[in-house]
Formats: sequence, C-alpha cells, structure tokens
Amino acid sequence: MSENKQTHFGFQSVNENEKARKVGEVFHSVAKKYDLMNDVMSAGLHRSWKRFAVSVSGVKAGDKVLDVAGGSGDLSRLFAKKVGPTGQVVLTDINASMLAVGRDRLIDDGAAVPALQCDAEKLPFPDNYFDCVIVAFGLRNMTHKDKALAEMRRVLKSGGRLLVLEFSQVWKPLAPIYDAYSFKLLPMMGKLFAKDAESYQYLAESIRMHPDQETLKQMMLDAGLGKVDYYNLAAGVVALHKGWKL
Amino acid sequence: MLKPLLTHLLEHLSDQNQWARQALLPFAGKTVRFNLPPTSASLTILEDGGLAMAGETAQYEASVSLTPSLALRLLAKDTAAQTQIKVEGDTELATTLAKVLQGMKWDYEEDLSRVFGDISATKISEFGQHVVHTAKKQSINLAEMLTEYWQEELPLIAKKRHIEKFVQEVDQLRDDTARLEKRLAKLTAIK
Repeated sequence: MSENKQTHFGFQSVNENEKARKVGEVFHSVAKKYDLMNDVMSAGLHRSWKRFAVSVSGVKAGDKVLDVAGGSGDLSRLFAKKVGPTGQVVLTDINASMLAVGRDRLIDDGAAVPALQCDAEKLPFPDNYFDCVIVAFGLRNMTHKDKALAEMRRVLKSGGRLLVLEFSQVWKPLAPIYDAYSFKLLPMMGKLFAKDAESYQYLAESIRMHPDQETLKQMMLDAGLGKVDYYNLAAGVVALHKGWKL
Repeated sequence: MLKPLLTHLLEHLSDQNQWARQALLPFAGKTVRFNLPPTSASLTILEDGGLAMAGETAQYEASVSLTPSLALRLLAKDTAAQTQIKVEGDTELATTLAKVLQGMKWDYEEDLSRVFGDISATKISEFGQHVVHTAKKQSINLAEMLTEYWQEELPLIAKKRHIEKFVQEVDQLRDDTARLEKRLAKLTAIK
C-alpha cells in the first residue's frame, strides 16, 4: 500500500520511495559547492541566520547537541565552540556526499565532532538524550516531516529545544521579486557556479512546497512539542522555529 | 535583519557581564515586553541565562511600560523616575530584568583591543571618554547660558524665586478666600 503513496519532489509528484533517492541525487550533485552556492544565493546571509539560530538556542557549555541534516557541518562547528570540551555535538546527514564534506571540514578545523549517516525519521539515539536538536535547511527535503519532527522530539530531554531553520513564506509584497529571483536567477546561478541548473531548480521548487510559518508551528505542536515560537528572518524568506519539549 | 543584529549584541553584552546570566537563569524561557510608545519590543531569557529578542508569537509573562519623558529621566539616572515605571504580570521577573539591563556595562575597551591592540585601545578609549566628558560639559554650559539669557535679557523663563513667590501668593489667596467664605456662612446663619 505505502508503495503507491505520492509525495512532492519540488513541483513534481513522485512515489514516496523515490523521493529520498531523488533528493540524494540532488545533494550528491551539489555537495562540493554547496556552501559556495549558499553564499552566492543568499549574499552570505545564511551565515548570519545560522549564527542567530545558535544564539537563540540557549545552548551552554556541557550541553549535548544534535545537528540533523547538518551536511557541510557549519552549524556543528559553531555549536562545538559553544558546548566546549565538556559538551557533545553530533553531526548527521542521510547523504554520504554531504556528510563527507562536513566531516572532513570539521576534522580540518580540529573539531572532535562525530559524523553519522542516518535517516532523520529513524534516529539511532536513545530517548531524552540531547539538550538541543537543530535541523537547518533540511526539513523540507524529508519525505515524512511529521515522523522526523516526532523523532527529533523523542531524542530531546525534557526542557530541550528543537530548532528548525528553513525557507518559509516571504512577506507578500516581496513575493513577485522573490519568485523572479528563485525561478529565473537561481537556476542560472546554479548553472554558472555549480554547473547544475536542475538541482537549483529543485531547491527553488522545494522551498515553495514547504509549509509556511504557522503551518510548521502547528506541525511541531502536533509532534508533541509543548510550546513553539518562530522568528521571521529577511522578511520571511527564512524562519527559525523554536520548540520546547515540556 | 534587526533581530539577528540585536540578539548578537545582547549575546555579546551577556558574555561580558556573566553576573547577568546568573541573575537571569532562574527565569529561563520567560519573556518580558517593553512598551515605550510608539514602539515596543519583547526580550526572551534563554536557557543559558542570555538574552534574545522574542519571536513573532511569543507570549510575555510581564510587561514594563514607560513614557518617552520617563525614559529620558531614567537615562539621566533620575532615581525618582524608577518608581513611576508601570510593571504588569510577573513583577519579580520584570524587576530583575530591568535591574540587569541597567547594570550591564559594555566593555568597549576590550572590544577595541581585539582590533587595535591593548595600548591603542586604551588611548582610543581615553580619547573617547574625554570627548564625551567635554561634550557633556559644553552642553551644560550652553544650557546655563541660554537659561540666563532667557531669564535676564529676554525673560521667557520664570526664576525659581518668582515661582515660589507666586505659589505663596496663590496659597495666601486660597486661605483668604476660605476664611471669607466661612465668615459669610456665619453671617448668613445669624440672619
């Protein structure tokens, strides 16, 4: 039965079983130039958004942090500084190519962060283990977002925080400019810098298919988080949701 | 853009004032709204005792309201103005946060030293303090000069002793009127 279930892959409708493979292909293709493209696409703003997420996390020395779909590892690096030698950060990603990039960078930086290839819908960690779980620009690529959110909540300690940094619904008056940028300029930049227009076309489409701020907030509450708040960044281009496990 | 920037500044200030984190830690997860018409802002206390701007849908546990004139008096370190701040909700939370915000100091010399080195940072800091001190002194001199001009040369402002005399005369008139009223009432009663 489940084999016939459909889900979206950008604007296309695909079999649920196919989505993970297709997303895997996209990220395998962009892995090497992922951060460069992020810098080009967001004019470097993604770094500020990630730093903001780390600031708002409330993570302190000695805490345990899980970076889900952490790919190139830039958030893990920031968290590793925050938790210090007494804390622990674990980097995970379903995609081996992205994870290899992140793992190598962290090793080069001298950060002792374990990198683990796993599915966010089946996290290999015990219940009530982490003080903070973060997923940045990863949730929209997951096939069953509800399952992934419930799983991330499961591994959180009571009082722990789940942070979701993700593209969201832009402020209405800016929508036409944002659409033109996403569907015209973004694939062109993908072709120019990463020689891969199709993957960046998928990125633009997947952003549009992702739930808006209020819907994601409700999804997090439905996943069992006790309280959820969100921040709009860059007029809603990106939103940071913070949920507490009470 | 503003939220990440302000949160970064608050985080920096909290790092420089570790005592503030300890003071705020018991209130982690709580939000306070500050109303200063025509604007307002909410601050959330983080799990590590740090401060951040609150999110779009944050519910606040306490609110602190002050008028623009009151804010100016507080900036001028007028202790009497503190009693006029309107606090609603969790007063302990609001009072603690207000005290922390007032007590936080920006160690700008430390920040400058990272860019220019210790010696240059001290010199720049001393120069900055001298400029601020001189500007403050000059402002007071200018204010005193204008006050004198408007009191003596082109009287626009009343002198203190004139106001006191006027107030005394008003008091005298009020008392006299009250006495007259009583006398009239007595005479009316005799008739």
